[in-house]
Amino acid sequence: MKGLCFLLVLLVFCPAFVQAQDERIGSIKNVEGEVFVLRGGEAITAEAGKVLYRGDQLKTGETGRVGVVFRDDTRLSLGGNSDLAVEQFEFAPGEGRFGLVLRLARGMAAFVSGQISKLAPDAVRLETPVGTVGVRGTHFVMNIVG
Amino acid sequence: MGLLSRILVVLSVSAMLAACSAPQAPPPSMFVLLPDDNGTVGRITVSNPQGTQTLGQAWQATVVADAAASPAAPTLLSADEVKARFHDALAVQPEPVRRFILYFQKGSKALTEESQALIPEVIATIRERRSVDTSVVGHTDTVGSNEANMRLSRERAAIIAMMLTDSGIDPTMLETSSHGERNPLVPTADEVSEPRNRRVEITVR
Repeated sequence: MKGLCFLLVLLVFCPAFVQAQDERIGSIKNVEGEVFVLRGGEAITAEAGKVLYRGDQLKTGETGRVGVVFRDDTRLSLGGNSDLAVEQFEFAPGEGRFGLVLRLARGMAAFVSGQISKLAPDAVRLETPVGTVGVRGTHFVMNIVG
Repeated sequence: MGLLSRILVVLSVSAMLAACSAPQAPPPSMFVLLPDDNGTVGRITVSNPQGTQTLGQAWQATVVADAAASPAAPTLLSADEVKARFHDALAVQPEPVRRFILYFQKGSKALTEESQALIPEVIATIRERRSVDTSVVGHTDTVGSNEANMRLSRERAAIIAMMLTDSGIDPTMLETSSHGERNPLVPTADEVSEPRNRRVEITVR
């Protein structure tokens, strides 16, 4: 009976889980040096033309740099020794659901806002260990000393 | 060189050495507002439990020593200084996305002649940029029922997607969707024939 319950729970929740994991949030456009995508506990070498999925984290080495474009046209690039997690990405204009929360634990980032900032400015947030950035349709850079 | 000058040189060199070896505070974290591509300037706020600073001017910066310090009063930097300091991240900034709007004939899924002529450029742009994320969104004007327009916008998006995949573009990288008459480029009353709303928008990322 316990086994059956477990199977039932698995059957009910797994499709949703798989779908969430599979959700595309953007793509990698430019890579220089050592850059990794952390996905499901695995470090994958970043390459231009690779898709980014919900929950991905980007890490650059000393000389690594990477530029990505999210599905809402937000553009983000990182310099060396950077660590960025996509905490939330929600872009469903049809259903009015928006959210973009990025966390830069350390390193350098340049950000150009996209559709989410335009349609729901309060839904965009960049978190860092020293403070949180709120964005009103714009372009900015930051360097976080970790 | 007199004795006094020599003593002075020795003293200043030792002072410099002492300054170098003294424990230095790490450089603070920094946030800088830049102008947008079109020259307009937005606004950012930097806040932590100790305080908030708002940057609303291009090349304005605030520094934060650590999580226990409030963001410092904004200062103005030069464009050159910011570009040099943030060169690593700015050097790999992706170019802006490219958007195409293709227009359709009234009540139809046939493109206007001008828009048909744009198709090769759309395909070339997707190839040049090696895009793996391009969206194709269908729209209609407000003539006809919501349901009919939903169907028409879906057909418009599908036909454009087919033109792209027929030219060898990978269908898995296209995201096709349709908004019916709900998302007009030019807002109108219901039952208004508006050529600018009969469209498919393509965004190449």
